[in-house]
Amino acid sequence: MSSKKIRRIRSLSVDVVERLTKNNLITCKDVLSRSDLELLKLLGFGIFTIHNLRQQCSLACVPVCTTGLELLTKRKQGTGQFFQTSLHGLDHVLHGGIPMGTVTEIAGPSGCGKTQFCTMLSVQATLPGNRGGLEGKVLYMDTESAFSAERLVEIAQHKFPDLYNSEEDLCRMAENVLVDNHQTCASLIKKLESLEEEVITHRIRLVIVDSIASLVRKEFSSSAGSNLVQRTNFLSRQAALLKYIAEVFCIPVIVTNQITTRFGRQATEQDEEETTEISDGYVTVALGNTWSHNVNTRLILQYLDGEKRQVLVAKSPVAPFTAFNYTIQRDGIVQDEEGAGLYAGTDPGVQQINVRTSLPFYNT
Amino acid sequence: MQSQRELCSFPIAPSHKSKLTSAGFLITEDLKHLKPSELSKETGIGLEECLEILKLVCSESVDGSKRNEAPKPAVSALERLKEEQSLPPIITFSEGLDNMLGGGVPLCKITEFCGAPGVGKTQMCMQIAVDVQIPSQFGGLQGEAVYIDTEGSFIVERLVDIAKATVDHCNEMARLEGFKEGEITVESVLSGVHFYRCHDYVELLATVHLLPEFIKKHPKIKVVLVDSVAFHFRHDFDDLSLRTRLLTTMAQSFIKRATEFKIAIVLTNQMTTKFSPGEDSRLVPALGESWGHASTIRVILYWEGQKRWAWLYKSPSKKESRVPYQITMGGVRDIVTSPADNSNDQSDDEPSSKRQKVS
Repeated sequence: MSSKKIRRIRSLSVDVVERLTKNNLITCKDVLSRSDLELLKLLGFGIFTIHNLRQQCSLACVPVCTTGLELLTKRKQGTGQFFQTSLHGLDHVLHGGIPMGTVTEIAGPSGCGKTQFCTMLSVQATLPGNRGGLEGKVLYMDTESAFSAERLVEIAQHKFPDLYNSEEDLCRMAENVLVDNHQTCASLIKKLESLEEEVITHRIRLVIVDSIASLVRKEFSSSAGSNLVQRTNFLSRQAALLKYIAEVFCIPVIVTNQITTRFGRQATEQDEEETTEISDGYVTVALGNTWSHNVNTRLILQYLDGEKRQVLVAKSPVAPFTAFNYTIQRDGIVQDEEGAGLYAGTDPGVQQINVRTSLPFYNT
Repeated sequence: MQSQRELCSFPIAPSHKSKLTSAGFLITEDLKHLKPSELSKETGIGLEECLEILKLVCSESVDGSKRNEAPKPAVSALERLKEEQSLPPIITFSEGLDNMLGGGVPLCKITEFCGAPGVGKTQMCMQIAVDVQIPSQFGGLQGEAVYIDTEGSFIVERLVDIAKATVDHCNEMARLEGFKEGEITVESVLSGVHFYRCHDYVELLATVHLLPEFIKKHPKIKVVLVDSVAFHFRHDFDDLSLRTRLLTTMAQSFIKRATEFKIAIVLTNQMTTKFSPGEDSRLVPALGESWGHASTIRVILYWEGQKRWAWLYKSPSKKESRVPYQITMGGVRDIVTSPADNSNDQSDDEPSSKRQKVS
């Protein structure tokens, strides 16, 4: 841990620690971010002391080393390392479901089902382990005021009628979903910074941020310049905080994202039979290229025709580019039996998304 | 001559340097045969610090600091050639990629894979971490790997998939050539990958700083992978000069380790959008221009439509070229259907899909 206080490193002598404190070097981060020459000038120690100091600080904050085998054994012993989404095709291709300890993003046009998906996953998370749940509470950070408690209860009633057939059961389930409203970026980041406490006190097993895009797009303009850089930095900080929470507590973190229109040549190769129209604008995931690096898994929801919609696995460390059809029913998101398969994917930052128009969809 | 060297050229704290100078100690010769207590009396510097200064300046330094050794004699190119040929590179399982790199990822050098999200950087690292363990009878290095993960994209189940495919391949080869099967198993591959998860840049710096001891304890290590070097350095840094300084120090440390222990260093980098006035925005490797000098070999992985391409952007010994590749269940592979496009060996051919205007 880089914030480890130097005072606590026992192998350093008292006067070394004193001199460091006098010069305002309190944590390991303060020492390791400086070069040898800087430390020499600041502290007036000999070079061997400086080397030893660096060595001790490095030892104090280096992460623990494990081997691949140990990791696998730990994961197998744990309560399952994947959170089932109940879309069995999707779960199968993701090796079990949404991986715990990582950040998963659900992106798509409005009305496609992102909030529905999140609500359904909230219900899933409160279930006991033998029904595919996480046996814990859910923290739902809502920035668009789109969360509907009624819908939460409706999904629970229709999806698991045997578990939730009385009002008490439903009330108990609803108590386990904690909803937080945020209207500004500042309040969201403040909450994320103190998230650890909340996760521990309430035993939260799933964190949802719906959506991460809306606040940022309100407060930062996306035109080129320092504002865009600030926006990217802000998003990266959020991503680092979310990833940290996800890993330390080994829980899944789900964020939702919006769409944007890009101009310029769309990145689809022309097949021999089909020719792509070089459209003036195409719709893709919002928040840019750097944000695409920050999420570990990206699921894109898009429209097919009529009521049919599709979920694409656009970025995943374990799954290839697969697509599944679904519809939204009373019991949440339900996978269609047909229409599952691989699709020709591309860079998840520029993957084209079908909105409600009659764009043809390419099947491989 | 060593004894005529000026004291101010040694790494001594400025406050001590001024005290030494005012007491009349200017060159190494002046400090010969002096006891720490005497030096302390004459200059007013504390006893422990005097001891350190004397140790540093006189030739019997405790940690055998390299500055006091005679410089190594120059090695002939023939010896270097023999050395380079005796250390086989690490193969990826894509023949096109290996040919482009001159056999594979070379030892004693830093290879950097830059790429857009989702193009396969983590997959490439996992493939290399498995391939370094291929037994020597199949032309492999039979080594171990250090995998430093900064992004959290390392999923061990995926490593198992890639390991299984490689183990099957080796067993198949063993069968065909009459070797004993089972030399390499999925468990042995997994235990040969040493995994560090770094949550911020300080932990990354600490890990890199402690690499020499770790490698000495595990001498079979032949590759150190960092996935990715960019993530923690791209946010949280208001002071860009500090970032450049830390990155350069880290790069120098890597170069030292690569040659000292004869290992390969593989780094992955992200892409960032570069805005040039009057032009469309383009994707370029992150971390700035100065970082471009850190790696010996730079490969840019990019999307062209729905195909993945690897572009050898910088190499001391191979020509700039690009090859397509794909990611399968078993890892990184060649694209089997289309033949390697020789007509694409144009060095001025920029990947066209990178021109995008950000709305």
